Amino acid sequence: MKADQAPRYFGARVSRRQDDRLLRGDGRYVADIKPAGVLAAKFMRSHQAHAAVTSIDIDAAGASEGVRAVFVGGDFADHEIRCVSSYAAFQESAQPILAVDRVRHVGEALIMVVAEDEYLAEDASELVVADLDPLPAAVNIDAALAVGFAPLHPGWRHNAFVRRQVKTYGFDDASSSAPHRVAIELHNGRHSGIPMENRACIAEHDRGTGQFRLHTTTQIPHLVRAGLSWALGVPESLIQVIAPDVGGGFGVKAQLYPEEVACCLAARQLGRPVKWVEDRREHFVAAHHSREHRHKVTGYFDNDGTILALQADIAVDMGAYSVFPWTATMDGGMAMGILPGPYRIREYSVASMSVCTNKTPYGAYRGVARPAACFSIERLMDQIARHLGVDRVEIRNRNLLTDGDYPWRSPSGLVYDSGSLIESLDAVVDLADLEGLLKCQADARAAGRLVGVGLAVFTEQTAHTTQEFKQRGVPIVFGYETAKVRLDASGTAVVSASIHDHGQGLETTLAQIAADRLGLDLEQVRVTYGDTEQVAYGAGTFASRSAVLAGGAVIRAADAVADTLREVAAHILEAAPEDMVVETGRVSVAGSPSQFIETSELCRLIYQRPERLPDGVEPRLEASRTYDAHPGTGAYTNAAHLASVEIDPLTGKTRVLSYAVVEDCGPMINPTIVEGQIFGGVAQGIGTALFEEFLYDEVGQPLSTTFADYLVPVMSDIPDFRVAHLQTPSPHTIGGLKGMGEGGAIAPGAVIASAVEDALSHLGAVTVDRLPLTPERVLGYIDAANSNGASA
Amino acid sequence: MAEISLIVNGEPAIAQVDPRTLLSDFLRDDLGLTGTHVGCEHGYCGACTVLVDGASARSCLMLAIQADARSVETVESLSANGAGLHPIQQAFKDCHGLQCGFCTPGLLMSVVELAATNPGCGRDEIREHLSGNVCRCTGYHHIVDAVERALNGAPGRADES
Amino acid sequence: MKPPRFAYYSPRTLPELLEVLEETGDEAVVLAGGQSLLPMLNLRLATPSHVIDLGRVPGLDSIASPNGSVEVGAMVTHRRMETDPIVAAVAPLAQRAAGYVGYLAIRNRGTVGGSVAHADPAAEWPIVLLALDGNVGLASSRGWRNVAAEDFFESVYTTARRPDEVVTSLRFSSRFAHSWGFSEFQRRTGDFATVAVAVACVVESGEVAEARVAIAGVADRPLRCREAESALTAGSASAAIDAAEAARDCIDPVSDIHGSSSFRKRLVYAETLRAVRQALTVNEAGIGDG
Repeated sequence: MKADQAPRYFGARVSRRQDDRLLRGDGRYVADIKPAGVLAAKFMRSHQAHAAVTSIDIDAAGASEGVRAVFVGGDFADHEIRCVSSYAAFQESAQPILAVDRVRHVGEALIMVVAEDEYLAEDASELVVADLDPLPAAVNIDAALAVGFAPLHPGWRHNAFVRRQVKTYGFDDASSSAPHRVAIELHNGRHSGIPMENRACIAEHDRGTGQFRLHTTTQIPHLVRAGLSWALGVPESLIQVIAPDVGGGFGVKAQLYPEEVACCLAARQLGRPVKWVEDRREHFVAAHHSREHRHKVTGYFDNDGTILALQADIAVDMGAYSVFPWTATMDGGMAMGILPGPYRIREYSVASMSVCTNKTPYGAYRGVARPAACFSIERLMDQIARHLGVDRVEIRNRNLLTDGDYPWRSPSGLVYDSGSLIESLDAVVDLADLEGLLKCQADARAAGRLVGVGLAVFTEQTAHTTQEFKQRGVPIVFGYETAKVRLDASGTAVVSASIHDHGQGLETTLAQIAADRLGLDLEQVRVTYGDTEQVAYGAGTFASRSAVLAGGAVIRAADAVADTLREVAAHILEAAPEDMVVETGRVSVAGSPSQFIETSELCRLIYQRPERLPDGVEPRLEASRTYDAHPGTGAYTNAAHLASVEIDPLTGKTRVLSYAVVEDCGPMINPTIVEGQIFGGVAQGIGTALFEEFLYDEVGQPLSTTFADYLVPVMSDIPDFRVAHLQTPSPHTIGGLKGMGEGGAIAPGAVIASAVEDALSHLGAVTVDRLPLTPERVLGYIDAANSNGASA
Repeated sequence: MAEISLIVNGEPAIAQVDPRTLLSDFLRDDLGLTGTHVGCEHGYCGACTVLVDGASARSCLMLAIQADARSVETVESLSANGAGLHPIQQAFKDCHGLQCGFCTPGLLMSVVELAATNPGCGRDEIREHLSGNVCRCTGYHHIVDAVERALNGAPGRADES
Repeated sequence: MKPPRFAYYSPRTLPELLEVLEETGDEAVVLAGGQSLLPMLNLRLATPSHVIDLGRVPGLDSIASPNGSVEVGAMVTHRRMETDPIVAAVAPLAQRAAGYVGYLAIRNRGTVGGSVAHADPAAEWPIVLLALDGNVGLASSRGWRNVAAEDFFESVYTTARRPDEVVTSLRFSSRFAHSWGFSEFQRRTGDFATVAVAVACVVESGEVAEARVAIAGVADRPLRCREAESALTAGSASAAIDAAEAARDCIDPVSDIHGSSSFRKRLVYAETLRAVRQALTVNEAGIGDG
């Protein structure tokens, strides 16, 4: 699938198509949309982690000014969200639209008030009196699994959604004969993507046609439609889902939420549009959480530090319900799969448990389980290096996969297609000037300061499709993406894609691809997405897949359109179709450049002068194609990160001084956009490493419910970045493309932990094993290092 | 309800407001200026930043009635319909200083103020000054590039990073 | 997160303001810059039936330097404190502390009077007032009075202000203009202090003749630490460390999501040490800009 001429836009740092409207304040986000007659919804939520709903008094709320309806659980009891894994022994949960007789987490919606405006709806919601009779709450993994703790859902045997276990045949021999072993236990704080735009939706119902229209802040409009169809009991043909401009997603908005179902039901009942705009306090307790993993990891290795076997025990705190469309198995399964990471590990034994607790349900966040997996394997590598007295770079070089290893079938069954692991590590050592950093560290230590350097290497499965998701047991297999390319009579193109762009720049990168294939100027291509009535069916944007899969689909569809251009041009120019070449602005005869027709003229003829078309050619320049990157096991991006930190020895406050990334995501469509994705991911990863955590008290009350208590990194917390690229193409994808949207967020936890540990290494040995590294925790590590150093 | 009279983006506006109406809601709902975004309504995220009498303010932490007889500027003031982008907007575009665009309007208004009050500042100072505007997409690097370019016409080119 | 309904008053003169205050009493809250009140209204942590806006009352935003002090109107913003030349010359500690308050957009609107009346125990102005031997001017229809900073702050969000009174001014002594220090532990730029320490000294012939050490973020109100002050006036060569240890040992901080009691004790040590060192350095350098 080769274009007729060298690309003009692929690989170019063109500025983004959507920027003008976003910069002018002309973006159109859900909260900006105001249909005539719209009502405002407000949800009153549980303030108990686990309780029986004994009584609810809505009389005062119903009588409050401007209130049009007050809904309780019983009103929507025929509807629920269920996401069932096909894994054996998976225990199902049913998430109610509004809680009926039981609440299972603080923030679970109990009551929906619909009023003339948000102010009045909130006034009324405060008048609801809900009597909740507290039950013992499963406030963490251990509490949920404690012997005798009652299962949280009816019919359950214990509080794990699922437990899985895998062991390679040779594991027992390899581990028992290994001369060395190191075991660590690692904790990752519960946190989430926290997009700057909260969730919002507007439901409309047309009584005449029976059709629903839902504007919503989602990354996955078609999947939301599918989920709504199941939850509402309405066929998809009667549901239109529109995701307009969306203010960041990061996985949080890749889910069907109960509020979306509730707004649809309320709009149908009231005959008026119902709009809900989440507030930030709700977002912290009702938009899904992520990242809370506990891993017990043991590495078995020989005298050189070659890993002989790896054992892992994974537990993830999934909160109260299995979420749609991911199920409650995603993080546990992903961590099982990717934990061996970029290393030549053949023997592996792993157990993974997805635990149900009385916390906000758990869903996707950029990187899904990979930050925790990277934290575990990279922390383990550092411990092995220390155990043997080997340099941290060297221990990795001894274990990293090399060219001869690909395709590598990992002990968990993943198939790594390609990579440049050692090269990326070498390159980041140079880019970051490791030697210079170590010199600075020595000077700093001499002056009594605590400076450390940390690094991590990882491989990232991206653009995995049918084959992979089939194995994950999800109810909908997210195999492919779709693109429709249409050239119109003006000679301009519309690309309609099943992905969604909420910052990733696909509106631009897909236009770059289409423009190249059709010989158009970038400005002549418009990319649309987000409206299920307007764009082709597909899964949406998540899992570092959109540029690869939608990009591949655009190439296929554009090439099909180009074929029609060639066929008609050949007819008009009286040449053979196979001799026609699509060039910039024209279609010409190969080897005879004076024989051509301008593309715009050709387009006009095709639509408006059908008598000039060859027999059998329809007057249509349009093609729709799907792309599923076979074999579906993913294209593997890899990267190496290296950072330096300084710790205030008196307060434990850790500052990132420098951060360098060498990333290999294959050929880049737009390197500036790639870098923007890397930087954004790394900054979120620095949040993972140093700041972000949903804390709960001993009875399950969330303590981080405002931006004063849940800390996201601000500009002064993040250093300037250095970035360099390698470009190893995937053998599996069109153009060799690999995904990269999540990668930046994967390594920083491991890197910063490594750097903090290094900063303390001259005081004494300590294992940094818990994120985020709050100042108080770091002081604890300093104390431990000092005490270990004194006793050593 | 009370009547307020103010200047918004250079144009007079007169409206009846409930005293509890937030300035952010007034701008968005009553005047249709939806470029001002609401991200937290407790003053931390900065998405709703506007200029009141030339100084940055959180429009979620002001009642509309407090803006009576004041001048308010929102992102919509930066470039007129049909006109080119404001130089600060252009710098953000050139340097890829935005992704989802949600924090961008508030950030731009903070940069307008920075350009007026401290145009000579370097990257570290830029980071300190703009720490009240949270961006979740960019990791800030390209924003600092953009601001640096807007303030000094200095390097800050995305292709040099 | 929308404010509850309230009756709004915007008095145009001080007498009018005092009259409204007298009428509304405990049912009312006073809106100054709104940077603490508005979040509380939006979160509905405050549900007053009356809101009285000081924004149109003239005469509350002056900065003057009468004998040996600087007097600042309640409606003076944090930003003005940060940039005003009189403050910089006479109460440089106040200037320095102002820069730690929130972000620029907050400092542009938030006021010193609003901050002290709000009495958040982690706020900067209360400890600056304590350190600079300040007092708070209050007015009501019954008359005027001044309350010393040490008597003003009573508990979390609770002060000696009576319901019919309004904070009209703050007064800081200028005798500490040459020897002061301010150090604050913020998790991120603009965050509330986890712990902040203000130190003000009078140094005569190389000896610390008077010292005041005030600490925010460790109790239900800003604290003065007399043990640390004694350590400073004792004249030992290790005064800074002595003072920091004394501060650490004499307080029993609260625990919350941002840090346990024992962590806060270590922060008190760190920030006291830094503020004291700064205070002693400022004096040696003989300049007021720290």
